[in-house]
Amino acid sequence: MIGALRTLTDQLLGRGAAAITVPIFDGALKPNQILEQAETFAELEAPEDLATDGTSLFVADGACVLRYDDDTATTVAQVDRRITGVANLPRGGLAVALDGTEVRVIGGPHDGRNWTSVAGKPLTAANAVCATVDGRLLVTDGSQTQPYDRWCHDLMSLGRSGRIVELGLTDGGAREIASGLAHAFGTAAAGKDVWVCESWAHRVLAYGGEKRGLPVVSRLPCYPSRLAPAADGGYWLTAFTCRTQLVEFVLRQKAYRTRMMKEIDPRYWIAPALTSGNTFLEPLQGAHLKMRGIHKPWAPPRSYGLVMRLSPEGLVRYSLHSRVDGKNHGVVAAVECRGTLFVLAKGRRRILSLSVADVERRLLS
Amino acid sequence: MITPIVELRKATKKYAGVPAIEDIDFALLPGEIHTLVGENGAGKSTLTKAMAGVVSLTSGQMLIEGREVRPETPVQALHLGIAMVFQETSLVPTMTVAQNLFLGQERFFNRLRGIYIAAQQFLQSLQFDVDPTATVSLLGAAKKQMVEIARAVLHKAKVIIFDEPTASLTPEEKKYFFDLIFNLKARGVSVIFISHALEEALLVSDRITVLRDGKLVVTDRKENFDRARIVQAMVGRDLSQTLYGQRKSTMRPAGKRVLSVENLRMAAMVKNNSLSVFAGQVTGVFGLVGSGRTETFKVVAGVIKRDIMYGGEVLLHDRPVRYLVPAPAVRDGIVYVTEDRKVEGFFETKSVADNIYLGLLAKLRGKRKLVSKREATEVSERLIKRLNIRAISKDVKAIELSGGNQQKVVIAKSLVQDPEVIIFDEPTRGVDVSAITEIHQLINQLADEGKAVVVISSYLPEVMALSDRILVCRMGKVVEEFSALEATEEKIMYAAIH
Repeated sequence: MIGALRTLTDQLLGRGAAAITVPIFDGALKPNQILEQAETFAELEAPEDLATDGTSLFVADGACVLRYDDDTATTVAQVDRRITGVANLPRGGLAVALDGTEVRVIGGPHDGRNWTSVAGKPLTAANAVCATVDGRLLVTDGSQTQPYDRWCHDLMSLGRSGRIVELGLTDGGAREIASGLAHAFGTAAAGKDVWVCESWAHRVLAYGGEKRGLPVVSRLPCYPSRLAPAADGGYWLTAFTCRTQLVEFVLRQKAYRTRMMKEIDPRYWIAPALTSGNTFLEPLQGAHLKMRGIHKPWAPPRSYGLVMRLSPEGLVRYSLHSRVDGKNHGVVAAVECRGTLFVLAKGRRRILSLSVADVERRLLS
Repeated sequence: MITPIVELRKATKKYAGVPAIEDIDFALLPGEIHTLVGENGAGKSTLTKAMAGVVSLTSGQMLIEGREVRPETPVQALHLGIAMVFQETSLVPTMTVAQNLFLGQERFFNRLRGIYIAAQQFLQSLQFDVDPTATVSLLGAAKKQMVEIARAVLHKAKVIIFDEPTASLTPEEKKYFFDLIFNLKARGVSVIFISHALEEALLVSDRITVLRDGKLVVTDRKENFDRARIVQAMVGRDLSQTLYGQRKSTMRPAGKRVLSVENLRMAAMVKNNSLSVFAGQVTGVFGLVGSGRTETFKVVAGVIKRDIMYGGEVLLHDRPVRYLVPAPAVRDGIVYVTEDRKVEGFFETKSVADNIYLGLLAKLRGKRKLVSKREATEVSERLIKRLNIRAISKDVKAIELSGGNQQKVVIAKSLVQDPEVIIFDEPTRGVDVSAITEIHQLINQLADEGKAVVVISSYLPEVMALSDRILVCRMGKVVEEFSALEATEEKIMYAAIH
């Protein structure tokens, strides 16, 4: 009774769970244009994920995996379905997520091993794969109700059916580490722990030992995506778009959302997107006022590009941005390989490259 | 030879046998702008209060245009043509601006509308943006100061004494103020101007007098002074390198985000403001008066309340908090060191020790059933020593201390609460140069200890000298953020104005 009254009061006064507030990009998240100014390394048809073995860059592009040694691309794997996640295995070979519904090992000593369900539930939106040194695979299954492509539907229906699963390479075992996550998207091994991004909750959680979902990074002003280890400790965390008060408002308006999802083409929903500015029908145009023909970089974004460098403890050390007036939006993966940071801007189907040393010199000195 | 409009000969004022000023010979010439500078406790305020009839001289003479006078009250001094604008405002907080302006000039029948119109016209003629119908208690420090100034000008005084008038004014307001002073001078009014901002003294004065320890050190024309000479005369040592002058060449790395403000709203003053404060850093907040910087942090600390509907959120360690009064904020580790120490900072009739101990009691709330005199002594002595509060004893009343030491008491009262987030609002306002240095050292020390420190200041060199990151507020929200290394005065001011 008291809880119901409190909810009602919160809704009336716009506070508590009904507060339409968004954290600010400041401190280490202070915006810059570094991602926007980054060199384009490659432009591809349908890039989905990046991986590295420390010497080469691997890109999941459509149904194949490309390996880049310097600028030369070689196809190292070809499958029958779209690859939605890729990881290099420590003892050779690749682990790939296929269309979100299957995880398969290609090459190496465990070639051909595959999983389509975990804990009796089928994989639905497997979107990130991480291989640990002790022969496990960590996989995030974004949602149990919406397939990989329909992530926006999952957000708009306030999906909380994501999970993080562990797959055994040697024994083929599989178990759920955690479920009921608000869109699990991206994972990494952090010592004995497992870190997992919970996109709709804007945080990174740690699991392992006593830690049952301990937030290591929380209240991010963005929707986090994949995690990758950084060369000198810590992690690269990407975000495919950032939060706005308008979207937060829509997320709290059930009737509006239901009707919008029923009647409007998903491309024109008031919802985050991987790219924007493609048609005048997109929402948020009103906020994108131009001054003397220049798009305001601080306008509320529908799409955004962001990479964060995390310390081993989860503190954001610095960040790279492509702001509203930029193009390199929808960043879903970043990996560091031989001193270069490769960033996948899915919104533009581009891979960007930046020298880590240059970035740190620019931002930290 | 020109007859001074006000002259003091061998002026001495003693409090309980201790001289506040001693054997001072001072002359103010007609149409002159004369600046008094000196550390807090040097005797500037006592000297001017004697002229304004607030205190009586123990010995010595006071002459106005060659005629010996002895004003016993401010009203008598006003009739002799001397008005004083006090450092700590003397306005009636429950009255409106217009009522304060015309206080003492009431007629038998007063038409309120007429008073408001007259006040509006008068304030506009001074280019002061103050609403005459506003209640004074609701005004910020700068606007209260403006009303004080306007009141003195309205009384057509021949001598106007300004005690630290620019401490809380923004750069534009200062410019208006200086124009006003020059205007008064052109009309033959003499001005005594007390300031700690030496650049201002060098800018506006005709002559400068330096006081130290109640004695006059030197009086000379402005042209014969430079900053170093004034500082040397004020403190008897060269402090020019330790104050404001240095910009930070390194910055502390940000620790964990301790405090977040998200889309905060508070009436017309704070408009959708968002910011973060990190552990182990000094976050400087700069903005012109009315930019909402003070109000934002007052909401954070529970001093004032945010809007009841859609007022945004304040988060401490990512946990939403909402303080309706400061006590729970203090218990959670957030303290606010006020910009208006006399009104909000301490109990002026209580001793230094009591004031400090009250800070601890506020934190402990019900955990101390009985007040422990021994604990009070221990706590206050520790903090008096740590902050180097110069008082004859810990039992001296706070009101009897100089401005700098009063400020240290306010800070001590907050530090005794062992806070995690410390918000300093104008920490060196009306504070002498040596106390400024000590307060700055303390602020840096707190950040080095890992505390999240916020410094709100109108004084750019102070913000730049202290801050690891600088937030600039304008029209109720943070509009720009600079790291200590990239900030310049021009960039900050541009962000604050445009």
